[in-house]
Amino acid sequence: MGFRTYLIRRIVYALIVLFVILTFNFAVFRLMPGDAEKMIIDPRFSPEARMALRKQFGLDDPPLVQYWKYITSLLRFDLGQSFATRRPVASELAERLPNTIVLFLTAFTLTMVIGTAVGVYAAQHRGTFAETFVTGAGLFTYAVPTFFFQLLLLMLFGYYIRIFPIHGTMSAPPPDGAFLRFLDRVHHLILPAGSNVIIGFGSWALYTRNTMLEALGQDYIITARAKGLPRREILYHHALRSVLPPIVTLIFLSLPGMVTGAVITETIFSWHGVGRYLMDAVLQQDYPAAQGAFYLIALAVIISNFMADLVYGLVDPRIRVGAGERR
Amino acid sequence: MNGETVAGQAAVQPAPRRKRSGIADFWAQYRRRPYGLVGLVMLAMYIAVALAAPLLTPYDPRKTEFFLADRLAAPIWARFIIPRFRNAPPTSRYTIHPDQWKVERQERASLSFEEAGDRGETAVIRFEPSVEGGGGARSELSWKVHYGFNPPNTFEGKVTYRVEAPPDGMTRLSLVIVDPEGKEYDIWGTAVYGEQDWTTAALDSRDLQMKTRLNMTIFDDPAKVIFSTKGDYRLVLKASSESPSAEAKLFLAPAKFNILGILHGLLGADHMGADLWAQLVYGARISLIIGISAAVIGVALGTTIGIISGFLGGPVDEFLMRVADVFLSVPTLPVLIILSAFLGKNMWNIVLLVAAFSWMGSSRVVRSQTLSLKERAFVEAAKAAGASDAYIMVVHILPNVLPLVVANMVLMMPVAILYEASLSFLGLGDPRIPTWGRMLQNARAFGAFTELAWWWLVPPGLAITLLSLSFTFIGNTVNEVLNPRYRERS
Amino acid sequence: MALLEVKDLKMYYRTLRGQVKAVDCVSFEIEKGKALGIAGESGCGKSSMAITVLRLLPSNGHILGGEVRMDGLDLLSMSEEAFRKAIRWSRISMIFQGAMNALNPVHRVGNQIVEAILTHEDVSRQEAVERARRLLDMVGISPRRFNDYPHEFSGGMKQRAIIAMALACNPDLVIADEPTTALDVMVQAQVLRAIQDLREKLALSMMLITHDLSVIAQTCDDVAIMYAGKIVEYGTATEVYKKPLHPYSMGLVSAFPNIAAEKSPVRSVPGFPPNLVSPPEGCRFHPRCPLADDKCKTEEPASVEVGGNHHSVACHKVDVTAGGIDIWVQ
Repeated sequence: MGFRTYLIRRIVYALIVLFVILTFNFAVFRLMPGDAEKMIIDPRFSPEARMALRKQFGLDDPPLVQYWKYITSLLRFDLGQSFATRRPVASELAERLPNTIVLFLTAFTLTMVIGTAVGVYAAQHRGTFAETFVTGAGLFTYAVPTFFFQLLLLMLFGYYIRIFPIHGTMSAPPPDGAFLRFLDRVHHLILPAGSNVIIGFGSWALYTRNTMLEALGQDYIITARAKGLPRREILYHHALRSVLPPIVTLIFLSLPGMVTGAVITETIFSWHGVGRYLMDAVLQQDYPAAQGAFYLIALAVIISNFMADLVYGLVDPRIRVGAGERR
Repeated sequence: MNGETVAGQAAVQPAPRRKRSGIADFWAQYRRRPYGLVGLVMLAMYIAVALAAPLLTPYDPRKTEFFLADRLAAPIWARFIIPRFRNAPPTSRYTIHPDQWKVERQERASLSFEEAGDRGETAVIRFEPSVEGGGGARSELSWKVHYGFNPPNTFEGKVTYRVEAPPDGMTRLSLVIVDPEGKEYDIWGTAVYGEQDWTTAALDSRDLQMKTRLNMTIFDDPAKVIFSTKGDYRLVLKASSESPSAEAKLFLAPAKFNILGILHGLLGADHMGADLWAQLVYGARISLIIGISAAVIGVALGTTIGIISGFLGGPVDEFLMRVADVFLSVPTLPVLIILSAFLGKNMWNIVLLVAAFSWMGSSRVVRSQTLSLKERAFVEAAKAAGASDAYIMVVHILPNVLPLVVANMVLMMPVAILYEASLSFLGLGDPRIPTWGRMLQNARAFGAFTELAWWWLVPPGLAITLLSLSFTFIGNTVNEVLNPRYRERS
Repeated sequence: MALLEVKDLKMYYRTLRGQVKAVDCVSFEIEKGKALGIAGESGCGKSSMAITVLRLLPSNGHILGGEVRMDGLDLLSMSEEAFRKAIRWSRISMIFQGAMNALNPVHRVGNQIVEAILTHEDVSRQEAVERARRLLDMVGISPRRFNDYPHEFSGGMKQRAIIAMALACNPDLVIADEPTTALDVMVQAQVLRAIQDLREKLALSMMLITHDLSVIAQTCDDVAIMYAGKIVEYGTATEVYKKPLHPYSMGLVSAFPNIAAEKSPVRSVPGFPPNLVSPPEGCRFHPRCPLADDKCKTEEPASVEVGGNHHSVACHKVDVTAGGIDIWVQ
């Protein structure tokens, strides 16, 4: 199987998942309890006004037409109008998306970098404190529910030792000056992102350490040593490079988990992002909003899954060059 | 000779793995692993707590037992470790029986006692008819209580009374608290014109009514002001009557007076004054039920799909595995959020939903095991003997994948528990059921943070953590013992 | 002066069950341009010796004594960094067993050769690439496959690529550890021929480690027979084959199928190699030796030279074995 076949397969697969999710999204929200109409339409409205509103939200079309309209509009990112705010969902989401991306990318990058670095370090220094630390951290992060840990941090640093803000993405009103504003943002970012990093890096480090140890025991590492390569070269160019395919794949495979984790993180830290928007919308039965947010999150998950496959194909020559061998 | 009997004979020795002494053997290996034992002990403790919940706490959080103490009351032991709670009051509840009233003053009135049907003994104050220009009759009863703590935040009381008087009679009733220095606080009062049947008046220091009566603003706290010193307080019931035409009678049933504690129980109280220890203890039941049932359903589903997929192969296999892939690529938590909002906040909905999104892992493992079992001689033999596919799957394959299934099930439990906790925490849990997730959600939503009430936050979180840890330990150990080949995975 | 001189080399592994005496007082020499074959059953310490010479020991392997000298230079006392730069690959290189993962699967084969050149020589990358191509060509791999990954090579090609890699820095000595094991017979022959050709062409000195005596017969000048961490017999290949003096060597030689001989039954030495944590007292071979007597059980035989030509043997029963009787006939 060549890389191209591989790629095409993954694309088709991603499209199928997208289709399933779109259909799910459509079906569930049409079937939601407490008819959408009750939500948007005040019983005191005149029949005409009621009709107009039904039309505006497209509630009168037959289901198939609604479905078609829905699919086509979603693909154009026309996500309808929020029941609660009467604003286009797309623009409400667009407002929040950058916040989510900032939080997410910060947490993700730090988790990855710290986790991998600590893991590599622990693999090199067997039997030292570093190794014990990594094993402990791995176990800890496996068992502790993220939201519990975040609540603890919030109480400790937000309320007890008040060194971090307790909610939001920035101070209101924001400080003057671009640099101060930037610092303010960072200040707000530390707890939500940091808690994710602390919860995330342990299992990363543990995984990296284990794969590194496995790689360091391989024959080609002895070859590299026999060749007289410097230690650093052996470690990075041979050991780390050869475990990159599984690590990178896992990095991307962990993306969906982090994307969905954003819902909880954003709720806890009142982060003005997509995840919290979803939660608010669900609790307020604001279906178009919930639908839009869910669609966005699902899309992110599909894309990151696809990237995982793609990157796996790219870093592993056995797939990229493709000589028949499947992993 | 029919196929069944032959297949049945083949089933006598379906696989080398299943032995008579299986369980004893398993236990002999299991007990040698410290992590497994720790997990088991922890789980046993959880189960004991869950079963003995009614013995461990007098309260039942499924009933609405509010204001057992003040809102956000701290645990009793906070007195010893947190300075601001050093002399904080626990809850004191008093029932003032009619004969406990001490007569302070009687003017043309007399006190007696009589049985009043189901109300039991009541105190009766008889007021003589009022005379022209001479004013009415009055009576003052008092009840003494010692208070020796820092000021409380709240007190509340109940006065139950009945008035028998001619239509032109007017009976006044009021409650006054006299502090040790003799200062009087008029906390409640009423006037009854003519007759009134049994009435219960509730008084509460948080009520605006009392605050205005005391000339306080809405931001003042009567309880704090009144009980600001330590010593003997008197609760004085003042009654008077102006009844020109005939005698008037005031009946008093037992009255209640409660000072809500700032300290309460083992873990304090929540925002509604409900007992947190009771919620924690009953939460163990819920978490175990949810975790176990979701895992059992999910893994049963996964096993069925895995066996069918692996055994039948071909397009069925392809289809089922694609479905599993799709389920795996879907963002689980958001889907669960939306579906549980859609299906309604009900515990069993959550169980089913978690199960529906957690079968994929076990189905893959079971499938690959089935694939290898399919090639084994005893399956071939059963096939040759004409046994049906369903028969082979149930009788030959299933028992052989069970060790995998069991381990998977145990490892699934913490996942299910965490999902439930997350959903409850997000406010999508069953509102009638006390769960640890809901405790955390309440803690966050109702002021545990501003009060730094870590005793509200830490126990449920720790309970979840340790329970998932114990399941993980057990699951991994079971895996090590039963499925040494799969040890590195999972 | 010999190119490589190993004297009383002792290397033990520390394990939980005790010290594994993998290399115990081993001495030998390799002259310039000559090839020494080291033969023995698996687990006799022959591979441990190879990695001891290149100082590639795992962390539990410890050199407890002896000397390794190359052109008189003491290799064991050199600093790690100096040894890495001056000796590894540039003076001593190694041919690993290709069937194993000796080539890194994520790097192109050509680059793995280039990397070795660039580490030790101050040449441009372009020049190194050019040399790597020539090396590949020399071992019979088309230079066009320079950019292939190891998984695209067959077993024989991988083995030849590894040989090319071993020659990348014009080493003085090549250690080949089981270079033909796990290859099928035809490919084995090809690879052996390649090694042989290169040895002649480049006048290489070589230390060849194998459990297969026929490989040594084809390629080596001298042979050392190793048993349980010790060299029990040492001599020129022809002499040892023609007239093995140690009972163990006799067993190995007779186990070596002789196609020319008409109907010699394939035999092997009965019994199992000893546990190297607590090897037998006296002669380590005595539990398996048909000639063993009380002396063999208590006294360790010293290596003695027999009949010139540096043919030496460590056995108390040389007088019996020198008689030329086939002691392994049942």
